[in-house]
Amino acid sequence: MSSARLAPGTGPVLYVEGLRVGYGKLGVITGIGFELAQGELVAILGANGAGKTTLLRALSGLLRPTAGRVLLAGHDVTGMPAERVAARGLAHVPENRLVFPSMTVDENLSLGAFTRRREPRGAVSADRDMTLELFPRLASRLRQRAGTLSGGEQQMLAIARGLMARPLALVLDEPSTGLAPVVVREIFEALASLRTRHGLALLLVEQNARAALKIADRVIVMDRGSVVLHGDASEVLQDSRVQTVYLGSGYPSPANAST
Amino acid sequence: MTDLLQLLFAGISQGALYGLLAIGFVAVFTVSGVINLAQGEFAALAGLVAISASASGLPLVVAVALSLLVVLAVSLTMERLTVRQVPGLTTLQSIILTLGVSTALKAVMLIGWGPDAAGLAPITAGTIEVAGVSIRSQELWILGIAVALTLLIQWFYQSTAVGQSLRACADQPIAARLVGISRSRATLLSFAIAGLVGAVVGVLASPISLSAWDSGLTLGLKAFVAATLGGLVSVRGALLGGVVLGVLESLTAGYLDSGFRDAVAFLLLILVLGIRARGGFTVAGGARV
Amino acid sequence: MSSATTGVTGPIDDVRSAAVTGWRARRGDAVSLLVLAAALAAFPLVASTTLLNAGVYALIYSIAAIGLSLLMGLAGQVSLGHAGFFAIGAYTQAILVTRYGTHLLLALLAAVALTLVSAFLVGLFLLRLRGHYLALATLGFGIMVFVVARESEYTGATSGIFGIPKPLINGRTYDSPAEFFWLAAPVVLIGLLLARNLVTSRLGRALSAVNDSEVAAEALGVNTFRMRLQVFVVSAGYAAVAGALFAHWLTVVSPDSANFPLSVTFLLMAVLGGLGTVWGAVIGAFAVQGLGEILRNLIPRIVPDVTGEVQLLGFGIVLAALVVFLPGGLYELWRRALRALRPRRQTSMAALSAASAAKDGGEPPVDIPTLRAAAIEEALAVDRRVSGRGPLLLARGISARFGGVVAVDDVDLTVSPGEILALIGPNGAGKTTLFNIISGVISPLSGTVTVRGRRVDGRPPHVFASAHAARTFQTPQMFASMTVLGNVMVGAHLRGHAGLLAGGLAVPAIREERALERHARRLIDLVGMTKDTDTPVQDLPFGRQRLVEITRALAAGPDLLLLDEPMAGLAGPERRALSDLLRQLRAAGLAVVLVEHDVEAVLALADRVAVLEEGSLIALDVPGRVRQDPAVIAAYLGTDDDDDEVAAALQSDAADSPQRMPGE
Repeated sequence: MSSARLAPGTGPVLYVEGLRVGYGKLGVITGIGFELAQGELVAILGANGAGKTTLLRALSGLLRPTAGRVLLAGHDVTGMPAERVAARGLAHVPENRLVFPSMTVDENLSLGAFTRRREPRGAVSADRDMTLELFPRLASRLRQRAGTLSGGEQQMLAIARGLMARPLALVLDEPSTGLAPVVVREIFEALASLRTRHGLALLLVEQNARAALKIADRVIVMDRGSVVLHGDASEVLQDSRVQTVYLGSGYPSPANAST
Repeated sequence: MTDLLQLLFAGISQGALYGLLAIGFVAVFTVSGVINLAQGEFAALAGLVAISASASGLPLVVAVALSLLVVLAVSLTMERLTVRQVPGLTTLQSIILTLGVSTALKAVMLIGWGPDAAGLAPITAGTIEVAGVSIRSQELWILGIAVALTLLIQWFYQSTAVGQSLRACADQPIAARLVGISRSRATLLSFAIAGLVGAVVGVLASPISLSAWDSGLTLGLKAFVAATLGGLVSVRGALLGGVVLGVLESLTAGYLDSGFRDAVAFLLLILVLGIRARGGFTVAGGARV
Repeated sequence: MSSATTGVTGPIDDVRSAAVTGWRARRGDAVSLLVLAAALAAFPLVASTTLLNAGVYALIYSIAAIGLSLLMGLAGQVSLGHAGFFAIGAYTQAILVTRYGTHLLLALLAAVALTLVSAFLVGLFLLRLRGHYLALATLGFGIMVFVVARESEYTGATSGIFGIPKPLINGRTYDSPAEFFWLAAPVVLIGLLLARNLVTSRLGRALSAVNDSEVAAEALGVNTFRMRLQVFVVSAGYAAVAGALFAHWLTVVSPDSANFPLSVTFLLMAVLGGLGTVWGAVIGAFAVQGLGEILRNLIPRIVPDVTGEVQLLGFGIVLAALVVFLPGGLYELWRRALRALRPRRQTSMAALSAASAAKDGGEPPVDIPTLRAAAIEEALAVDRRVSGRGPLLLARGISARFGGVVAVDDVDLTVSPGEILALIGPNGAGKTTLFNIISGVISPLSGTVTVRGRRVDGRPPHVFASAHAARTFQTPQMFASMTVLGNVMVGAHLRGHAGLLAGGLAVPAIREERALERHARRLIDLVGMTKDTDTPVQDLPFGRQRLVEITRALAAGPDLLLLDEPMAGLAGPERRALSDLLRQLRAAGLAVVLVEHDVEAVLALADRVAVLEEGSLIALDVPGRVRQDPAVIAAYLGTDDDDDEVAAALQSDAADSPQRMPGE
């Protein structure tokens, strides 16, 4: 879907350097940097209060960083307001999905393409067809009010809405919250295919470490505002520190739960 | 019986005006949380400008168009100069802010046009007899234009991208920003709608209720009551609320005492608000508790 | 007194942080009163006739403005119909004196009494409304009074009541502007004194707290509705006094003398002066009256033949400009000037430590001295009769929904004195919702909550607090406009009894205030925050704010303590210190329920652990067994339906629990 946007090999889609947000309060971020390339899915893990949501909000423009830089496909978007960052090609699927509850699924999708409202109809509706193919459940509910959808369907809608903007990068904030495992699997498979088949760049913040680790290429683990661990997903899976960060030491890791 | 019908009809047409003006409140409030107490002044100003333009020889259509433009300019200027300048304006602050603007506007009208009331020429003069009920043709124009304008506004909100973006802002403001909708531009647009609607009401009402420097107060407040009857979030509810209010007022004036006509609206306001009393707590920093 | 809730924001009033230690505020007040008294006494001697006339009006209106400023600043409510109460006072006075020949002072009493009663009834009905709805409802009220006055024969319809005599007291008639000015001045001074007393009283402190965080104040026992109603009624009383004086000055009371523009004028006076202080009302009144005079002279010179209330132009512009540029009014200007003049003594220890903390990402550890359980008991004055007598908290069948989602699903919880119960579970499991239900912040869909045998479900949080229970919040709800001492004193709210009357008169409440302050200081010492006692809480680093919140919760001597993520944001040593404190509290007989994400700390600290997932209790047992429960492990790490062991455990659960996701 976004393969048309960027020529391959033009550098990272998202480049973050020295990012700081807030001071002395909960959710502070103290100096974070990373890159996200096309066709890559990076997962950001960490316990509650680690600053993951704050990070995403600083990237998408809902929050202003106090220091650092954020580059989207080479353009400096640091501190830009959210609506402009969205127009530049970053789609943020927020915590709690935040669909437009009183509007239909169809209208939600149209609004996702708001920044493309001057483009010819054909391109947008082609994208609409592709997202509905990705999430068939939505196709049968186009006239339904988004607020009446189930949690899983709302999550799919929120992602589809983000895709309608034909973004350079998609960032998701804890999409698995409150969803049954089978639904989580369905959604995460869709995310993985977006990365693999469409070459989209994805940044996934998650509490559900296991599900995230299964589809991620690289992992960044945060604790209290800074990065404590990063690397390939397979390496991190083995690392005992992940268990510590989440559950405190002495908590049996499922890999060796024998007690 | 004819008395009742007469009162009903008068109430419905007056109510249509309240409802139309109420749409202005709803348009602004849903997008920005601002309660615009100057809404009534938009109407009063439009009436006065049209009267002056008309008196200086311009044909009615031109005078009306001019007054629409003037009020539109005023409402947009108001948004840019005041509302826009206060980031994070709360609804309560907006009441005080727009109260200030409305007071200033009233005074401008007082200084510019004096304390006396005047009436614009109706679109067509004369009355029509239907089943013993005497209806002014202006009232028919009012009904027709109110319905047409409401339909137009509904269409705008339902079927245009921009209109949908305004609804989105109202529905879920954070998500709206994330899809690229600028709240400040949406607010400006909503004030444009409020200005236009206010001007139309002012021009339609003037032949019957007359325009004066202070006619905006009661008109605006009654329109606010109408909007509240619709929950402050629904265009259709606002129009309906207006008609209900208009009819109740008309019946009160007809059967009880015309002096207490104004009190009906406020009594209704207090009752409706009192019944809608909502709980909930204000929390430091707006955080989820 | 801040206007945080009114929204016409004001800066922190540092007289208010001194309000805690009343004597400092007293001294400031006494000086200001003397200065004002001298100025008012001198005014008629130096002012010209026109100025003096305007001054009389200013003085009369200032009384109403003081009341409105109290309402807006203290109760955080806006009234756009205060002219209505002014009118009730004016008309009552006028009618009683002219038609029934009542003595002036008796009529005044009656006028005020009648206004108080009507304000009580109006407030009872309307004060349940949220801020902007209340403002508009009062607007409606004001206009209704106007309409009734204009239509009713009894009130003289459009002509009103005339022929009201000038005041005749003790054989002396006060009919010249100077004499009337000197008659009204003491009334203003007394009004100011009473208002200041109220602001610095227990009532004032409680309402200030409400302005900062209503939910936290309620959870500490503040009955917000009742207190706001009291202030509403008092503010109407002020308007009535002003109205009565007005009647005697103008000798005519007509509907036009109490119309909507007058309400706007009162509002402007209060806002211009600044809502951070009642002094502002008097300053604002004179400023607005002066502005009106200037405009009434100026505008007819620019636009000839103009009549009527032209000064409204200036009033409107100033009001709007205030909201945009100077929401704190003249008072804010004054404070900015003071701050600019004073040397920068802001680099206090707290600010320095906060700065260094931000730099290296750590925080100076909070040092909690290890104390004997007896010392804590004594400081908390825990009612020992309760402990050991069965469960303190009984929650049965609690369920709640938000939208279509089940947030809490049929939860039972029992907590006894002298135990620590931990509530854990993944994000969004419903833990905070459960807390909110137990403490009365929200009502459950079904189920009951009893604390010490008292039903608290569905009742406001102050009921929970009055059952000797307290709670803290996921995001610390600081009373940002106060110091640490102020916050803890609000915590002790339920230990005091001084109400409206005692607060207004100040003297009867002195002993209680001193006792409350002593108690608060002891608690602050107990947790090792002595050197931060007078620091504004918003200057404190996050960890200390958390500690303040806990200290505040302890101030009323609760038996039951609910802590929502108290360890979040704290570093290792602080977490250990907090755990120690909790152990000491348990030893003193308290029951503690805590929601936590630091599972390790919690497993070491708690006697029992309850695990919540998607609203249901999936485990309730001692830590050792909970830690090995496969369902719990699955809940935290996320499931993978390839994992057989976990899937099996979940399947047996799923068979019992109801469908939660429509369409899944």
